[in-house]
Amino acid sequence: MSDLMIKRLIYSAAITSSLGFGANTVSAEELRFTVWTGSEAHLKMLGEIADSFTATHPDVTVRFDTIPFGDYVQKITLQMAGGNAPDLGWLLENSAPAFVDAGALADVSGTLKSADGYDYADFSQPAMGLWETSDATYGIPFSTSPFLVYYNKSLYDAAGLETPDQRIKDGSWTWEQLKSDAKALRDASSGVWGFETFDGQGYGSRVWHTLIPIIRAYGGSAWEGDSCKLDSPLSVQAVQLFHDMVYADGSTVPPGEQGDFFSGKAALTVTQISRVSKLADATFDWGIAPLPSGPAGDAATVGQAAVVAFAQGKHKELAAEFLAHMTNKENVAKMAAFFPPARKSVLNGDGFLTSNTAVAPEKMAFVAEGIESGSVLPSHQRFPQIEAEARPNFDALWSKNADVAATMKKLCSGISPLL
Amino acid sequence: MSAVRKGPSLSLKAREAITGWLFVSPILTGFLIFFVGPLIAVFYYSTTEWNLLSQQSRFVGMANYVDALTRNETFWDVLVNSLVFAAGLVPLNMAMALGLALALSKSRPGAVFFRTVFFAPVITSAVAWAIIWTFLLQHESGAVNQGLSIFGIDGPNWLHEPDWAMVSVIFTRVLKTVGLNMILYIAALQSIPRDYDEAARIEGASNWEIFRRITWPLLAPTTLVIMVITVVGSLKVFDHIYLMTGGGPQNGTMVLAFYIYEQGFKFFNTGYAAALAVVLFALILLLTIVQMLLKAARK
Amino acid sequence: MNYRTQQKITRICWIVGLCALAIPFVFPFLWMLSGALKGQADVFASSSLVPAKVHWSNFSDVFAYQPFARQYFNSLYIAIVVTVSTLFISSMAGYALARLRFGGSAFILLVLVSALMMPEEVTIIPNFFLMKELGLMNSHMPLILLPLFGSQGVMATFLMRQYFLALPKELEEAGRMDGLTRFGVFFKIALPLSKPALSAVSIITFLFSWNLFLEPLVFVNDIELFTLPLALANFTDTYGLPLWHLQLAATALAVIPMLIVYVLAQRQIVESFAMSGVKG
Repeated sequence: MSDLMIKRLIYSAAITSSLGFGANTVSAEELRFTVWTGSEAHLKMLGEIADSFTATHPDVTVRFDTIPFGDYVQKITLQMAGGNAPDLGWLLENSAPAFVDAGALADVSGTLKSADGYDYADFSQPAMGLWETSDATYGIPFSTSPFLVYYNKSLYDAAGLETPDQRIKDGSWTWEQLKSDAKALRDASSGVWGFETFDGQGYGSRVWHTLIPIIRAYGGSAWEGDSCKLDSPLSVQAVQLFHDMVYADGSTVPPGEQGDFFSGKAALTVTQISRVSKLADATFDWGIAPLPSGPAGDAATVGQAAVVAFAQGKHKELAAEFLAHMTNKENVAKMAAFFPPARKSVLNGDGFLTSNTAVAPEKMAFVAEGIESGSVLPSHQRFPQIEAEARPNFDALWSKNADVAATMKKLCSGISPLL
Repeated sequence: MSAVRKGPSLSLKAREAITGWLFVSPILTGFLIFFVGPLIAVFYYSTTEWNLLSQQSRFVGMANYVDALTRNETFWDVLVNSLVFAAGLVPLNMAMALGLALALSKSRPGAVFFRTVFFAPVITSAVAWAIIWTFLLQHESGAVNQGLSIFGIDGPNWLHEPDWAMVSVIFTRVLKTVGLNMILYIAALQSIPRDYDEAARIEGASNWEIFRRITWPLLAPTTLVIMVITVVGSLKVFDHIYLMTGGGPQNGTMVLAFYIYEQGFKFFNTGYAAALAVVLFALILLLTIVQMLLKAARK
Repeated sequence: MNYRTQQKITRICWIVGLCALAIPFVFPFLWMLSGALKGQADVFASSSLVPAKVHWSNFSDVFAYQPFARQYFNSLYIAIVVTVSTLFISSMAGYALARLRFGGSAFILLVLVSALMMPEEVTIIPNFFLMKELGLMNSHMPLILLPLFGSQGVMATFLMRQYFLALPKELEEAGRMDGLTRFGVFFKIALPLSKPALSAVSIITFLFSWNLFLEPLVFVNDIELFTLPLALANFTDTYGLPLWHLQLAATALAVIPMLIVYVLAQRQIVESFAMSGVKG
């Protein structure tokens, strides 16, 4: 239960600094940093990073503001437009192009490259793709986190099914297999679902997270250049598979239902390594496996989030310095406990595989492999508009008799002009 | 005493005028700043293409309107939804309010209790009401469908099928607001003199005749006010949509007020949202004029 | 069948019918209470209204999760400020428009009436930028100013005007004979006579402010500045999943005091509407 006792605006390093410096804190400056996590463990770690910054910048405090994930982009946009921009914040990959294009992010390359011992070249080049241009850097990915399958081992054992871990060894861990496992593990009488979508939000704000991994495993994609590929036969086949899981098999938590993996109400889910923190009090055995493969082989998918400084923030210099501090080697290693890093030295170091005490090293190896081979979720300069256009069409998928091919075709014709 | 107060330079008429302006000046000033000014601004904004994120705007003339009216089919869906919402909510709400008021206007034992019950949602925060009903309307685990299953009815996935979602939102909204209309009707019924009723009864009129010939005509002014309040309330519905459906599924519950908010503040199409606001303004102005004409015709 | 049994049957039908109708009004409150006392996983796991285990701690968790007491206070004080200012401003304007003759009054009335039905969505975008210019972003001022001077304030003015129109002029004229100025007549005679209208306007205005959702959503960022409706919609865990049990506990905390006040005052509420002449 303590996990729920979340304090929202947790950390103010002011206390420590005022103890040490008394009257000097009159001129204290506060950096406001927006995040979408409310997890006590995450905020404690972030607070420690802020503390170590305060040690060298005694007048500075950092305040972490939690904004719920679903409203995040909208809220910070409103704050910026309202002249109340945060200084720093997390940003998801799909928002990156729109924010860069709008000039909403500060170029921090100067500060980073001149920071002591920063070693900018240490960041893996593919991971930086969305965040830098030839001469500017708009953010540093702090989490390059592959999508993973979490499974309820107790339920697998009780049903006598071969676990995903065992199947990986003989190569039979496929989406078809996941589908049939989910069907077998669905137990309506005890309210246990076979499969839950990403954070249970897989039909709304995270619909891309639900479908893109499957689509890629089947050889499809969202869009290539300016052409929409969501209606390609391969993409349609993948979406059909998921549709069958929800409606033909009835194994997957459908829209409008609750079935939380983390309280034991679903046997399988797709999510990221940071969610391990939710399993601290789990009353069941659980395991982690990579995403299943499909006809097109493995298609690891990576969700990415970066630390950015906002162009309209009130303390741009200081914000850039804090960004440099937060993403230096030491702190990236620290954050690696929850958020798989993009620094090669940390990722390849011995420390990484043992960084997460809740996860065995061989499981962390899945994460490392995923980062290595995975591709980032689709993003676009006009993503907000694309999302607005796509949403009603995605909605149209979620009924028993939906014509998947026709719906995906309509979806594509809607978003094509925007690409 | 009074001779001193009445300054010789000001006539009574001028003094009254000054007092009048003094009395209306607070609301007038605020109204000009926070309503009229913004209203003019929204017309201007609607002629720009304005991205809230980049905060850059350029003049595009009527392009936003052309876009809404000709190119964007969502706009027409939204407009139709708004009208469907009003057309579904207003008659249901008013009929129910009148029915409850007729049943509860006389002070029988129990009447006060039931009035309290039907009015309770009115004083409940709309957000709270919407949240609770979102739970109750879940597909399998929701109380509504569990209740229906007792009677062997397999309830739909209320909030996730476009037509049912609209029905659900209308229904919960009616439950939330019907109490206020009921009280207004009760107040009006109680001000109808008893003897009208009794005189008619002595002449052998049936209940229905009394209602149709006496009560209903006497309620007409109240009915008009309630209709105005309810129609406007239905066109500005925001919280129920935001919390229960988010405009979905398939834009099935996307109404104008919510669409303005999403376009303006979520998808950054601020200029387009302003054009939508102008459309809403025009729609309501039209309704206001119709209502004024109705009122004038009655007199 | 004699008259008395017939009446008895009618009466039973009346009660049974109303009870059936009351279900969708009452059940949500019962369900809310029961959910508020359940554990997180139980809210959906069991459909029973009686919690398997009573979690009183939900209520204290609400306060640990966000500054709920503060948010409660915000809603309360904003609603009171809005109500009191509306009463003051609207009754003055309503009186002037009903009783005083001055050039332009007909035009003012027409303008105000045409704004009577305008929802705040029409002007929310320009008001966003106006508040930014005035430096009032992320404060409570927009939540006070916009209801006061928007359609709600206009509605209050209009209701007050209607009431003053229906008030007999003789008392005021007597007051003027006694040497009272227009101000004096308004404050000493007209206002005390308009208690029913004032209380009806107070109720409508208070509820309007209490329910305000769009404005806080757009204008307020800091969690300490949230109002109750925003706070209720904000119970999500780390990754945006709703914390149902806390949400329901908070909802119960928000709803129950209002219900108690209402039950205590319900007779006066109905009476004030009956006497205020809110009927056009």
